Amino acid sequence: MSTTAAPEKGTPRLSENGRRRQPPPAGTAPSAARGSRAMAWLFLAPTIVGMGVFTLVPIVASILLAFFRWDILSAPQFAGLANFTEITSDPTVRVAFGNTIGFVVVAVVLQLGVALGLAVLVQERLPNWLRVFFRSAFFFPLILSAASVSIFMKYLFNEQFGVVNWLLGTVGVPAVPWLTTPVGSACVVVLVYVWQNFGFSFLLFLGALSSIPQETYEAASIDGATGWRKHRHVTLPLISPTTLVASVMAIINALQVFDQPYVLTRGGPGDSTRTAVMVIFETAFQRLEFGKASAIGVVLMLLIMAVTALQFRLSKRFVFYQ
Amino acid sequence: MTTTASPAPSNRGARPGTRAHRDRSPDAPARRRRRPLDWSLAGRVAVLVVAAALTLGPVLWTLSTSLRPPADSLRLPPSFLPLNPDVTSYAQVFKQVDMALLVLNSALVTGLIAVGQMVSAALAGYAFAFLRFRGKGALFSLVLATMMVPVQVTIVPVFMLIRGMGLSDTLLALILPAIPTAFGTFLMRQYFLGLPAELAEAAAIDGASPFRIFRSVYAPLAMPGLAIVGILAFNFHWNEFFRPLILTISEQNFTLPLGLVSLQGNMGTGSISVVLAGVVLSMIPALVVFLVGQRTLRDGLTAGAGK
Amino acid sequence: MGDSIRLRDISRRTALGALGVGILGATAASWPRLTATDIPGRNDGSLSIAILGTAADAAARQKAVDAFRRLHPEIKVRVQAIQAVDWKDFFSKILTMVAAGNPPDVVYVATEGAQLFAEKLAQPLDEFVRRDANVMAEYFADVHPSLVEAFMYRGSLYQLPMDWNAANMYYNTSVFSASGLARPADDWTHLDFRAALAAMRRANPDGFTPYYWTNRLFGGVVPWLYANGTSFLSEERAAGGDWLWDRFYPSDPSRASRSGGYLWEGPNADDPRVVEAFDFLRGLVKDGLGVRPEEGGGNSLVGLFASGRIGTTPAGGYWVQGLAEAGMGPDAFDVAFFPRWASGPASAAQRHQFGTAGYAIMKTAKDKDAAWEWVKFSASREAMELLFATPSTTPARRSMVNEALYSGKGPAHWKVFYDTLDRFPATGPIPAPPQQAAVETALIKNVSLAVSGDERQLKSALASLQGDLELALRRTP
Repeated sequence: MSTTAAPEKGTPRLSENGRRRQPPPAGTAPSAARGSRAMAWLFLAPTIVGMGVFTLVPIVASILLAFFRWDILSAPQFAGLANFTEITSDPTVRVAFGNTIGFVVVAVVLQLGVALGLAVLVQERLPNWLRVFFRSAFFFPLILSAASVSIFMKYLFNEQFGVVNWLLGTVGVPAVPWLTTPVGSACVVVLVYVWQNFGFSFLLFLGALSSIPQETYEAASIDGATGWRKHRHVTLPLISPTTLVASVMAIINALQVFDQPYVLTRGGPGDSTRTAVMVIFETAFQRLEFGKASAIGVVLMLLIMAVTALQFRLSKRFVFYQ
Repeated sequence: MTTTASPAPSNRGARPGTRAHRDRSPDAPARRRRRPLDWSLAGRVAVLVVAAALTLGPVLWTLSTSLRPPADSLRLPPSFLPLNPDVTSYAQVFKQVDMALLVLNSALVTGLIAVGQMVSAALAGYAFAFLRFRGKGALFSLVLATMMVPVQVTIVPVFMLIRGMGLSDTLLALILPAIPTAFGTFLMRQYFLGLPAELAEAAAIDGASPFRIFRSVYAPLAMPGLAIVGILAFNFHWNEFFRPLILTISEQNFTLPLGLVSLQGNMGTGSISVVLAGVVLSMIPALVVFLVGQRTLRDGLTAGAGK
Repeated sequence: MGDSIRLRDISRRTALGALGVGILGATAASWPRLTATDIPGRNDGSLSIAILGTAADAAARQKAVDAFRRLHPEIKVRVQAIQAVDWKDFFSKILTMVAAGNPPDVVYVATEGAQLFAEKLAQPLDEFVRRDANVMAEYFADVHPSLVEAFMYRGSLYQLPMDWNAANMYYNTSVFSASGLARPADDWTHLDFRAALAAMRRANPDGFTPYYWTNRLFGGVVPWLYANGTSFLSEERAAGGDWLWDRFYPSDPSRASRSGGYLWEGPNADDPRVVEAFDFLRGLVKDGLGVRPEEGGGNSLVGLFASGRIGTTPAGGYWVQGLAEAGMGPDAFDVAFFPRWASGPASAAQRHQFGTAGYAIMKTAKDKDAAWEWVKFSASREAMELLFATPSTTPARRSMVNEALYSGKGPAHWKVFYDTLDRFPATGPIPAPPQQAAVETALIKNVSLAVSGDERQLKSALASLQGDLELALRRTP
């Protein structure tokens, strides 16, 4: 197909468009091409109406619901701020939010670190067939469902009979109680999550690396930059826009982690792997406290928004646009 | 496509140990000259091979375990290659769940969501890229912001909406709410922005209407981008667990991941190899889509995220 | 050149057009599937029956439905098999159906949810049972009163037990003999049990676990608490229920102890005997005799037990079929009573733990008489023989727990199953108040910590359990 060439041509242009040159400069295109306002809304209708009905209205409803007590079986009762005061004093909710934040920090750092490291290794001077192989291998876990990954990982991490402990045993490490101790199960949840998700960041980084012109490196090596310093001073600044996108997406995803802890540990032992989203699910669908669940959801939404806003603010200082 | 074959900077290697050693060693340049394919490459490949083994190992174990009789399931030392395959567990999967119906439901749900997302994201992405209307920036931010809302937060009101529409426990209840896509819209906007704006101007001068310009000029050029939206939608919704868990009730309306839960059995009565056989079966369609769309996906994703 | 481009354009457009038409056509063709209007019996006033089940036993289910239809051609029946990983999951699914505005008329409910349903959703059966007392007499004569009492709530009966399971101790016979162990005595103690585990540990290599258990309400810590005469919740009995006991169990030896149902209203995790039982389990874990239990675990159990890598594990009669399917011969395993406590006030009386299940009629059922006909029919010998043709659970009718059910599959001492009730009338249901979901979560989340650390961790985990239970019980269910 003749069009497949388009993205490759488009790549460098994209990285320029987003920030610096907004083409076409406003007003230069004939107004017929830019359409009437009504036309624009026709284009937008399916997405905007759909989102309005299935996302925005539910969000507003959720926020309202946070001020009610409601068990589905009887009519909702106004409760003022009671749900919020209850969740701030509920140790499980507090622990779950702490877990979520800790999980996000560790999982995202690990995910981006592994992805970037492997992308650099794959990008540099490698026979093409090997590059294709590694790229496919690292992307592969993404096509699996988190639930089924967690199912087989649970067998692999079994303390007595799992392959992981058997492997560790062959190098003399005693059996690790992966899923039955707080630290062990937190590690498993992070590892399984990163195992499945690093491929996405990996692909993003690989794309960014391949768009760095070779001459940039050659110039850098003439200036005497080698190895780590080359990456530190050339690669990292040049891929920083991708790093921003990759980290925003990774953080938003990690903040909503559910399937892995739900299948692997059910949040235990204790509350050690219970995440905010799990608490929402349990509060709503197992205990029928829908108002309280909504209140937790509202707090989580605020947290996600705050984190994202913070990232974009920080990005102004650290992201470098060519 | 073969890149950067220039032999010059051989210590581009990312293995700190090797590099430190070489930097300190005085006769390093001599040795380098003797072996053009030096240890740096071997070291890098070794790291990558280990990473690939860690990535694929669990999947191979799953495949080979599903092809062994249940009594051998957790044998140690483990075997990663399915020698002497035994397909009784697969037969058991077909006996325990109505595989044909599960696949049909999953295909209907996933297919229609993918098509719906492609159409709606193409239209909205185009509007955000090229069309003129008031509040564009704010609206785009709002669309992006919906990505930050966990599905668990909105599922209860969505559920009540579905009930109000008389769609409780139907496949449409899974499809309709999943069609508007913030990520797809974002991706398509980026994609359209990457296409030359001059085409629109030329077409407009020829008297084409905005919709015609979209349909005849830009939409065909954006096919690879649309394919990415479709593939990602397929991958995500094929594997989706939480929404079907809440929104469908009758077994006739189950999608694959939900049907597979029943293979686990109650109170530990299920058999590992049957569960894993179900896992393997459910990953086949996603694998096919991935293999077919891999190149498009890679090219498009890397383009879209440059921002 | 220009021509070829145009040609390609046209053919692509045609292809796209065809694709679009194809998609629309396919959508239209599958419209009944998308809107679920192709499901027979949906919204046509059929009696809708929700069960926790898989397609695996669909054939047996259909036979029972057919038999019912022959008896009552006027009642249309629709069985909805609902998939869930455990009962808690199943109940939240039923509640979702209620919320969606189409609750089922009849629901198969286990002990875990009996009081939740009795308190909020279910219709007492008292009036129906009295009306059909003659038919019911035959049923009750065949069913142990402990099972029936588990479905009494504040003096009314809400379900008829259909199947049940006790926590008994399964053991691998070849592991036992290889470790120089004989079949345990019926009144073996927890110390005998520990000694047996130690013998297995000595005789077996590293990849072997003498005692494997999972962290859940049924068969987790509760049988040990019952063995030590205590529980993690306070246990009282409600008044009432004499209408049933006097009519159907007048001469039962345990008649005097029967009540209007169990009440679990307060936390009891700080009871010294609870601490003692947990400490015993902690000792097993510490000395490598038992595993640290996994949350939501148990999926690998059958394979591990069948391959001889587990010595003992608690399970009920439901396990026999799974072991047979995993290739275990009838003599490769056997079952014994759960051990009793060696010392203290509970040592004299052995008390075991069971869970049971049966149909409840929803308050919202459109035709309650039709619903009762289904409940009554399901409790008949004819229906139960269709439903429980294999030992994948223990039938509530004593006469059905017989040689034929277990022949060729084992275990040799299958009599242990029903004897757990007949010989130990104090044997009780797993504690499941109306707030069961919150209570179970509180228990599960503290068990692993309690049994896998030092004494200080045990104390703090039980203190946390006590606090969590207080919170859980304070909620309105």
